[in-house]
Amino acid sequence: MEILWLGAFAVLLAGYFALEGFDIGLGVLLPVLGRSQAGRDRLVAAMAPFVLANEVWLVALAGVLFGVFPTLEGEVLSGLYPLVVALLLSWVLRDAGLWFRRRAGGRAWRVLWDGALWLGSAGLALTWGMALAGVALGLPAALGPAGVAAGVAVLLLLALHGWTFAAWRLPGDEVVRGAVRDGRALLLTACAAAVPALAVTAFAASSMLDRTAPDQTLTVLSVMVVPFAPILVGAQLWVWRIFRKGALPSFF
Amino acid sequence: MDVVNLARTQFAVTGSLHFLFVVLTLGLAPLVAIMNTRHVLSGDPLKERMTRFWGQIYVINYALGIFTGLVMEFQFGLSWSGLSHYAGDVFGAPLAMETLLAFFLESTFLGLWIFGWHRLPPKLHLACIWLVTLTAYASALFILVANSWLQNPAGAEEVGGRLVLRDFGALLTNPTLVFALPHVLSAGLWTGGFVVIGASAYHLFRRTAEREFFTRSLRMGVVTAFVGSLFTVGFGYAQFGPVGELQPGKFGGAVPGTALATMMGIGQLTQFVVMFVLLPLLARDWLARWRWLHPILMIMTPLPFVAAIAGWLVREVGRQPWLVYGKLTVADALTPGLSKTAITASFAGFVGVLGLLAVVDYALIARAVRRGPGQVALGAPERPADPAPAPVHAF
Repeated sequence: MEILWLGAFAVLLAGYFALEGFDIGLGVLLPVLGRSQAGRDRLVAAMAPFVLANEVWLVALAGVLFGVFPTLEGEVLSGLYPLVVALLLSWVLRDAGLWFRRRAGGRAWRVLWDGALWLGSAGLALTWGMALAGVALGLPAALGPAGVAAGVAVLLLLALHGWTFAAWRLPGDEVVRGAVRDGRALLLTACAAAVPALAVTAFAASSMLDRTAPDQTLTVLSVMVVPFAPILVGAQLWVWRIFRKGALPSFF
Repeated sequence: MDVVNLARTQFAVTGSLHFLFVVLTLGLAPLVAIMNTRHVLSGDPLKERMTRFWGQIYVINYALGIFTGLVMEFQFGLSWSGLSHYAGDVFGAPLAMETLLAFFLESTFLGLWIFGWHRLPPKLHLACIWLVTLTAYASALFILVANSWLQNPAGAEEVGGRLVLRDFGALLTNPTLVFALPHVLSAGLWTGGFVVIGASAYHLFRRTAEREFFTRSLRMGVVTAFVGSLFTVGFGYAQFGPVGELQPGKFGGAVPGTALATMMGIGQLTQFVVMFVLLPLLARDWLARWRWLHPILMIMTPLPFVAAIAGWLVREVGRQPWLVYGKLTVADALTPGLSKTAITASFAGFVGVLGLLAVVDYALIARAVRRGPGQVALGAPERPADPAPAPVHAF
C-alpha cells in the first residue's frame, strides 16, 4: 500500500508538470509571443480552459503529501521555507493575472495583470527549479548557483512545453510565427517537463517509503479515494475532449 | 510579537480572508445551480441572464477563495510542522481527502462550466454547476472534519508520543462536527441571500432598466436568506450542548466572549428582520416597490460576513492555548527553529498580496453588480480559433 501511494504521489507530481507546465511556460513566453494585445488574448484563451484543471494537481499533491507523508510534509515545506513562500506568492500572482485581466477595461489594467501573469509564471518556474534542487541538495545549495541553474533549466523546459502547446492549439497562428505542432510533439514535451520532478522523486523514493503514515491511515485513505479515481481521471479527460480544438472561450 | 503569535496571526488573517470568500461561494453555488436548472428546464431567456449575471459574481468571488486557500494549505507545513509531526497521521487524512475528492473535482468542473457555455450540451453544462456545488459542500465537510478533530480529537490514540488513527468513523460523527457543518453551510446560504438582496436593492433603488430581473432576484435572495438564517441560528444554538461538555470555559475570554456576542447579536437581529419584515413584504412585491427600504437592504449586505468571521473567532480563539484540544498546544506545534525574520517576511508577503487582491476582487464584484446583467462576459459568444483576417495593430 505504501508503494501504491508513492505511485499516486509520483503520478500527481508528473501530471502537474506535464499539464500545468505548459500554462506556466506560456505565461513566461506571453510578452515574447504576444506582441499585440490580441495575440496575448489568444494565447491566454488557448490555455484558459485547462488552467483550473491543471493547477489543481499541485493542490492534490500537497494533500497527498500531508495525508500519506505527514512528517515529511512539515520537514520539506518548512525546510525550503523561503522557496515555498516565493512559489506560493508567484502562484497567486499568476492566477490573479488570469482571473482579473479581462474583468475591467482600459489598456493599463490589461498591461498590469498581463504583467502579473508573466511575473508569476516566471517566478513559479524559477522557484520550482530551485525547490527541486533544494530537495536533492539542501536549501543552501538551492539558494546558490546550482539552484539558480536548476531554476533557469526548468524555466526553459517549461517555456518549450508552453510554446509547443501554443503551436498545437493555435496551429499556424502568428503568435507562434506560423508553426504547427501535432499531439505527439506536445506529448513529448509534456514527458520532458515531468522528468526533473520525477528524477528528484526517484532520488527520494526510498526515504519517502520509510516515512509513510501507518497502515490504518493509508487504508482509510485508499477506501475513500480509490473508488473515485475513475471520476478524477474521467473529468480530466473530458476537459481535453471538449477544449482541444474549436473556438477560443474568452472569459480569462 | 513573538514568533508563535506572528505565526498564529498570519494563519488567522489568511483563514479569515479565505472564509470571507468561501462563505459566499458556498451560498451562491446552489443559487446559481438552481437558476441554471430553471433556465435549462424552461428555456426562459431571463433565467439564462440570471444564471450568467449571478454566475459571474460567483466566479469573480471564487478567485480569492482559491488564492487564500492555497496559502492556507501550505501554511500547515510552513509554520506548523509540529502539528504534522504529532498528529499528521490522523489530521492529514481528511485534508488529503478534501484535495482529492472535493477540490480537484470542484476546480475541474468549474473550468468546464465557465468555459463550456455554447460548447457542452445544456444538460451536461448544467450537471457541471451541480457537481461544483456538490464538491464545494464536500470540501466544507472534509475541512470541518479536520477542524472539528482539532476541537475534539476523537478516534485517535497516542502511541510513542504521536497520535495514530483508530476509528475514522469517530471523526465523521464528532459532536463538534455534526451541528457545526449545517451551521456553516446555512450561513453560506444566508450570506449568498444577503448579497443577492443588496445587489438587487441597488438596481431597484437606482431605477435601472432591469426591474423584472432584480425583482425576481430579490425574491430569491429573501427566500434563501430566510432558509439560511433559520438553520444557521438553529444549529448555532444546538452547538452549546456539545461545546459546554467538551470545551467548558470556551466563551470565557475577552475575544471569544465579544465575538460570540457580536455573532449572536447580528444573527438574531437580521434573522428577525428577514422573517418578520422582508419575507412578508414579498407579497405583491412590496419590498421591490418600496424604494425607501432599499438603502437599508444595501447597508445590511456585509452583516453575515461579519457574523461569519466572528463565529470563527469564537471557535478558534476559544480553544486556546490548544491546537489539538487537550493534546498539543499551539506553541508546541510551531515549526522548530522558525525565525522571526522568516515569519515576518512571509506574513508581510502573504497578507500584503492577499489583502490587496481581496480589495481588488471586491471592487470587481461591485463593478460587475453596477454594470448589471447587460454586460456579462461569462457565457458570452466565442471567437473563432483561426487568427482573424482583420489587421492586428502592434502598439
